[in-house]
Amino acid sequence: MARKTHDDAFGAAGAETMIGAGVTVHGNLVSESDVTIDGQLEGDVTATGDVTVGVSARVKGNVHGTNVTVLGHLKGNIVARGEASIRETGQVEGDITSAGIAINSGGIFVGRSKMQTIPSLDIPADAPIVEVKTKPAAKSKS
Amino acid sequence: MYYYIVNPAAGRGQIKNLQDQLRGRLDKLGIRGEWVKTTGPGDATRLAKAAVASGHTTIVAVGGDDTVNEVINGIDHDNVAVGIIPIGTANHVATQLGIITWPQACEALAARRLTSYSLIAAGQKFFLSTLTLGFETDLDKTVDTTTAGLRARAKQFAQSLGHARHFNSLKCRIEVDGQFTLTCDLFTLSVANQKFLNPLADNRLIVALSDRPKARLKLGSVVWKTLRSGGQGTLDDTATTRFLADRVVIETEPPTGIMVDGKVAGRTPIAIRLTDRHIRFITEKIVADFKGAIGPK
Repeated sequence: MARKTHDDAFGAAGAETMIGAGVTVHGNLVSESDVTIDGQLEGDVTATGDVTVGVSARVKGNVHGTNVTVLGHLKGNIVARGEASIRETGQVEGDITSAGIAINSGGIFVGRSKMQTIPSLDIPADAPIVEVKTKPAAKSKS
Repeated sequence: MYYYIVNPAAGRGQIKNLQDQLRGRLDKLGIRGEWVKTTGPGDATRLAKAAVASGHTTIVAVGGDDTVNEVINGIDHDNVAVGIIPIGTANHVATQLGIITWPQACEALAARRLTSYSLIAAGQKFFLSTLTLGFETDLDKTVDTTTAGLRARAKQFAQSLGHARHFNSLKCRIEVDGQFTLTCDLFTLSVANQKFLNPLADNRLIVALSDRPKARLKLGSVVWKTLRSGGQGTLDDTATTRFLADRVVIETEPPTGIMVDGKVAGRTPIAIRLTDRHIRFITEKIVADFKGAIGPK
């Protein structure tokens, strides 16, 4: 696992949450920053930032985050505002709802996937067409 | 008006040789104020309480971490500012606030840059900086880390490494905000206020812990960083587990001592919580140095 520097870890958004390889967690984990799990977790993970399930991690529960990357074992659903990614060592048993999905060769996914559009880019079909006039770009003097 | 609570025993009585110079500097800066000396342990708390009650709004701890801790335990008003002139043997709190020497401290007191921090309660006591338990607490009981010099440092490192190799990890259980529990074999643990490490962040407990490194080289690196950390424990990037919380209850098997700002302050099991008691500290920390700061374009 790539180790972040001290400066990265203590940003204004709050320190990232890290669960080390020798640690076992029972219950729901909530974070306003990124979450990296290398240990065992039984419960849901909800993060404002990205969630990484490390190579040695065993997670039993649902994971909510911006981008979710699985290199270990996850039994539960993923809801990602951005991309859900299963790397070559990753295994996911559960459903994935995300804006994008990537599964590397070797990665295992057993479940259903649903591509979720990003709400801010939804354009209603009956939206009015507005003509915008622009000035031609000024010629450069060089 | 500034109210100076002076610990004459701090730093092996350093104030005796320094007093005239210090008071002269404060006078030149226009912040001379009232000057009182403590007479024993606990006196700084009593003097701070009395100063607040009589309307003083800037209280300066002249001493080390013990003096600072006693002063903050005597303040229960949000509108009181606390300054530090670090002359103790251990000055971790001052260092964390960016204040290293007494002349710099005087300039900082005059500049009066204030940052408000929530205090942390461990049992019945309040503290600002760092609580540690595990290897680092045990180390402090067996190795004298106060002596400086290259030879002394080499001896401390050798003794500490030997101690680390024989230190048995503690079975640890931590209940976090009533939401989850965490169990592990613990080598060292630290708790601090996140905002104390980064003034841009919110006031929250940051809990950092490590299990015992298996590789000797890694163990040596952790021991070296512990000796140099100034009581900060694993709050740097050596922690293998780190999370934020408002309240944690820590149990260990067997029960072990805890240290607050480098001083023994109780034993596990212990409840640690972020309080709504705020203290404004006079600080030298430059906010623009921290990640997330919005600088001039």
